[in-house]
Order: sequence, then structure tokens, then C-alpha cells
Amino acid sequence: MKRRFQNLLSYAWSCIQRYRVRTLVVLVCLSVAAALFSSVSFLKDGLVKEGELSLRYAPDLTVQGISAGRQTFIDSQYAGIIQTIPGVRTVTERIWGYGNIGNTLLVIVGVGLETLAVDPAVAYPLESGSFLDSQHNDTVVIGRAVADLIGAEVGNVLTILTESNQARQYKVVGIFNSESAIYNADMILMNKNDARIFFDVPEDKVTDLLVYTKDVDVLYYEAQVNYIAREISELPNVRVVTKSVLLKAQETTYGARSGFFSIVWYIVLISVAVVAFNQTVVVGHESKFEVGLLKSLGFSTSDVIQIRFIESMTLGVIAGSIGLAGGILYDTLLNAPVLRDFMLGWAVLYPNFVVPIYISAQTIFFTFVITTVPLLFATVVPSWINATVDPDIAMRGAKA
Amino acid sequence: MIEASNLTKIYNQGKRYEVEAVTDANIVAKSGAITVLVGPSGCGKTTLMSMMGLLLTPTRGKVLVENEDVTSLSDGWKAVFRRKNVGFVFQHINLLPNLNAIENVMVPLLCHDVDPSKFRQPALQLLEQLGLIERAFFRVEQLSGGQQQRVAVARALITTPRIIVADEPLTFVDEESAKTIINFLSKLRDEGKTILISTHASNLAKFADKTYLMKDGRILD
Repeated sequence: MKRRFQNLLSYAWSCIQRYRVRTLVVLVCLSVAAALFSSVSFLKDGLVKEGELSLRYAPDLTVQGISAGRQTFIDSQYAGIIQTIPGVRTVTERIWGYGNIGNTLLVIVGVGLETLAVDPAVAYPLESGSFLDSQHNDTVVIGRAVADLIGAEVGNVLTILTESNQARQYKVVGIFNSESAIYNADMILMNKNDARIFFDVPEDKVTDLLVYTKDVDVLYYEAQVNYIAREISELPNVRVVTKSVLLKAQETTYGARSGFFSIVWYIVLISVAVVAFNQTVVVGHESKFEVGLLKSLGFSTSDVIQIRFIESMTLGVIAGSIGLAGGILYDTLLNAPVLRDFMLGWAVLYPNFVVPIYISAQTIFFTFVITTVPLLFATVVPSWINATVDPDIAMRGAKA
Repeated sequence: MIEASNLTKIYNQGKRYEVEAVTDANIVAKSGAITVLVGPSGCGKTTLMSMMGLLLTPTRGKVLVENEDVTSLSDGWKAVFRRKNVGFVFQHINLLPNLNAIENVMVPLLCHDVDPSKFRQPALQLLEQLGLIERAFFRVEQLSGGQQQRVAVARALITTPRIIVADEPLTFVDEESAKTIINFLSKLRDEGKTILISTHASNLAKFADKTYLMKDGRILD
């Protein structure tokens, strides 16, 4: 039986080789469909993961100052008031904004070392050097991609232009490599006081206040956050942004992207359906005749089904593998041209942003499902139907 | 020995375009003999041959091989029976395109539990006997109709079947090929094979040990 199966295997392989044009059309169409699907899926999954990472250390509430409906600095004295609201664990002052190194726009974040709510070793794991400390001014810690972009190493001095075109110098004391590609791509961390000087923020003001709430049962989390948000909203000239609002904003962004993802899905499905239809109808007559002939030569129905199954599976797996390899190369080596601009939106503004891709087993599985299942249905089912009728009828039907 | 007992085939039974292609056919093809079925085109010869080669299920009647009813076999067992016992030569040749002559000859071996490479020599011998050794590695498309039919004869014989059913094997072949095929079939008869041939011309009848005439789906007495 083993020898017989090998024979069927070799016949199926010879079919793939014999019908070169058909094989080529199927392989090209399915490979392109698989490449498109996997490439977009890897990007989408990467973005979702990036979103999760960026929210992992986000505060439960962010409080901003507003004036005439526009965002402005907020009084730092509000931190003390907010701290007294029941449910608030800690309030951190933050000063941040944008600065230029050469023509590169980077995000500069002033960190209040004394009130840090997140462990910097976790949020910004150092690759080299050390983290900021309150004893040393004019020092910075930068992301890995920023370091690569400007060619900086620990010990180098960076010159950053302020908005008033003053050149300020900072010594690089550490380089971090966060899980988040966006953090790595554009972030420069410095002491809060250095940031205050850099952005010329008044002594009693900060950019925003980050509010972390006390740990409660997940059931009461929303109620607690809403209560604190309501209490803070009572303060004059403030705006409160909760984590869930940020999450919704992110979902809206990804929602639009996933609309694009749906379009890609439709394109892929239509392409695969066309290939399957071609297999069933155009190739159908040829296949019907061959099924009849094989049966008349002594092949059984199960032999014929096995041959078609092996043939379709082989083509599907080859197409899926080519498509996956193409998708991965397109996303990684080429950094996803065209798709990158669409999928990342504003994030492409980041100078050295590496497209975040996430290769999941689920995407790999679905890619192979796309390239194999429709093909199997399009070939095995008609072959099975043809194989269950008399060989003479199958051959006559094919010639009719 | 293969025998048709009251074989009847009705296409589209019970439908508007019902056709009774063969009616109550009774023929016997003995081992070591050439049995020829002669009749005009469209008289039902191919249908009868297909039923006797187990390629078509009769509406009524039986096919007996060594007095054993093989029409009642399941689809799977019919395939096994054909694999082991029947070599079929088609009127329309029916070789697989894009394969060369020897590959076509060896196709029936692929459903056997054997190593086909061991049958390469016998396949070449068959082609040699049929005068095609120099064309063994030519693709089907590069062969003439007569050469293709000779390849089809070799394909029918590669598994050494005891029954050979040839449906109008000389229709599309040249005189030289026809002669080669007839001589070859005569040799097989001498080896004790059961040979059943259909033809619309009577030129094959002189080689026959037994001839049946067929008209309008019926065997004439």
C-alpha cells in the first residue's frame, strides 16, 4: 500500500508539472492573495500589539489645562488637589513637547523622577548606560531607533534646538530599547526641570498631570475612574481624558484601518474564488475526462480523490509558503511600501519608525486556509462527483 | 471467458430523451479467441463494449466472467476487477496529453502496489513489439494517430490482463499501424487471452474466431 501511495503521489506531482500554465496561474494568483493577506495581517497585528504596549503604561486619567477651548499648560497646584480625591493613588506632573535635532522632529519627555508611577526599568529597559537621576542636569536617555538615526552613543552630547532657536546641549547617559517601536523611534527622556527650561514652561505649570488610580476590583474600575473624572472636571480650566477614551480613539483608528483590512479580505476572497471557479469550470472538462480515463485504467474512486487532494494540497501549500515569505519580506526587508503609509497613518511621520509587524500562528494558519481550502473544494469535490459515476459516462460527459 | 447475458442499456431512462442503446445483447468471448462485434456507427457497439469492460453499468442484464456475475460488484470492486483483469483500448485513443509514450504505457501501473520503474523494460518491449521503440520518449502530441493507438494498445497490456476489450481500435489508424495491431492481437490470442473487438468495417472479421453482427442496439442471429 505504501508503494501504491507513492505512485499516486508521483502521478499527482506529474499532473502539477504537466499542466504548467494551469499550475502557474493558480500559483501566481494564490501566492499574491496570500502575500497580500499575510502582509496586511502582520501589519495589523503589529499595530494592535503596538497599541496595547503604548497603553500598558498609560495613566488611568490624563488631566490637561484648557483656555478658550484649546489645550494649554495646567497649574501644577492641581496635582495636590487631585491627590486628595478618594481613589487616586498618585499624580505625576509631566512636561513634554517636540524638539529638533537637525531636521528630525523628536518627542522630548520630562520625567518627574520623584513621582514616577511606572518603573522605568520596565517601561524603558536600558540597553546601555544608566537612567536619569536627579543629581545630574542636562542629561538624556534616548530610544534605540533615535540613537541609530542620529548616530549617537552613550557619552555623546546632543544639540537640540528649542522653539526660540536656541541650541541646548545634553549628554546621552543611556539608550533604552522598549518593546514599543514608537517609544524607540522618537523619544528623548530628560529630567522634568531640564524639560521645563527647554520648553520655557513657567514654574507653576506643567504640560499635563497623569493620574493613577488605586487598585480595585475590575467591576468597580470604571465607576472609580468616572467618579474621579467627574471630581476633576469640577476644577476650572481642565479637561480629563480617561484611558478608556484613549482606547476608543485607538479603536477608531484601528477601526478605519480594519475597514481597509476588510477590503483586502474581499480582494483576496474574490481572487481565490476566481481561481477556484477557473479550476472547477474551465479545467473541469479536462479533469472529468481524466477521472473517467483513470478509472477505466483501474484506478478507484478513492485513488482519484487522493490524487486530486495531493495535487491541490501541494499547490496550496506551495502558494501559501511563497505568499507568506513574500508578505514577510515585503513587511520587513522593504518596510511595507504603500501599505505602510496607509496602515500607519500619522505614525509615518516618525523619522526612523520601523513598521511593527507581528507574525502570529493564527495569520499563518489562515493564510494556508485561504490557499488550500478553496482549491480543495474546487478540485476534490468535482473529482469526487465525477469519480462516483461510471468511467464511460465521465469520459462521454467530458467530450460532450 | 467473458459473456454478456441480456445486456440492456437505456440512457436517460424515464426522461424525455430516453434512448435504448443496447437491447438484450447476448455474446460470448472465449479465452484464446478473438471475438469481433461488427456493426455500423451508432448501433450501440461502444455502449456494449463499455458494459463488458465494466466501464458502464447496464440497465438490465449481466456480465459474466468465468460464469461469475461481475455487474453486481460495488464500484470499488469493479475498479479492482478492471485493474487486475481488463485492458481497454478506446476508439478515441485517450492518451494523457503532455506525457510521453512510455509514461502513458506505464500509467495503469500507478494504481498497483508495485514499483513502476521495474516495469520500464516490459513497457519498452511492448513498444518494440508494436514498432514504436524509437518513439518511446516522444510526447503524445508528436505521434501520429496510428502511433498513438499502438501506444494505447501497449498501455492496455502493461498489466498483463486476461481480457482485452478493444473498441474500434483501427478507426483512426493508418494501414501499417492496423496491420501491426492485428498481428499483435493475434499473437495475444495464441497466448490464451480473451479478446473482444468492435468494428464498423468487416475487414477485421477474417481474423475473428467468432463474429457477432449488431444493428440498432441488437445482436443479430
